[in-house]
Amino acid sequence: MTDVSSQEINAREKQPLDTGGIESTSGEPRFSPVVDIWETEEGLTVVADMPGVPAEGLSVDLKDSVLTILGRVEEEPKNRKSLTREYQTGDYFRQFTLSELIDQERITASIKDGVLTVILPKQAPAQPRKITVVAE
Amino acid sequence: MSIFRWRGAGLPGPLWELERMRNYMESVYSTLANGVNNFRRNYTGVFPLVNLAEDDDSLFLTAELPGIDPQSLDLSIKSDTLTLKGSKKVEGGEQEVNFHRRERDAGSFRRSLTLPSKIQAEAVKAGFKNGILTVTMPKAAEARAHQIAIAT
Repeated sequence: MTDVSSQEINAREKQPLDTGGIESTSGEPRFSPVVDIWETEEGLTVVADMPGVPAEGLSVDLKDSVLTILGRVEEEPKNRKSLTREYQTGDYFRQFTLSELIDQERITASIKDGVLTVILPKQAPAQPRKITVVAE
Repeated sequence: MSIFRWRGAGLPGPLWELERMRNYMESVYSTLANGVNNFRRNYTGVFPLVNLAEDDDSLFLTAELPGIDPQSLDLSIKSDTLTLKGSKKVEGGEQEVNFHRRERDAGSFRRSLTLPSKIQAEAVKAGFKNGILTVTMPKAAEARAHQIAIAT
């Protein structure tokens, strides 16, 4: 934990997802969650702020070295009249290309208080293999 | 002295120089304007951003506070002013790690806001679920809508 008690947090609007012009059919906004990613010798850890996403609304997928994070937010109660709207709500989506070889079997993902943590352990380094060249 | 290629078709020397200065000033202004827009987009007010809603009986305040320990939140209401205080910590700094991305903010926050109608402060309830704080504030009797029967 970093001691940051003296520092004040600035309010930032959520970043709308850059879809390159492709819209969602529902017209609902989607957001790119802010992340921390760090690497140790054992593996990579991805932490993403996804407020409003329950565990059952979460999908984490690693395919062809692309990590895909998708979070679906719970719907807000409908019978309320909005007075002030400073933040928008919508699903979260973000993808990362991983350069490290990841042990797919041991990936774990958990979400607590709207924060997703994905732990991606690295594969054991490949044993050096001597290749004998046979002269013909 | 540098030599410029002659570009100002039809413009005599001094006028071309003015044209060049004008283009330069325009590029400076457009850079400044972009900077202001970026600032506006990223900074909208005091953390946390809140949404306020109501139904006939209550006011509802919601705020996105991912990763904040609900036990550390300090919520108080005095008259019609609601104050929310707390702090957010981010993990990862405790060991030798190599950060690839560091986008999540940490720090303390304090926000006060004036509620749009009178509420019953003693009946306020607060809940925290999936990183979202919801404060339910029943309206005071005088702030509720009264159905008035029309005598015929």
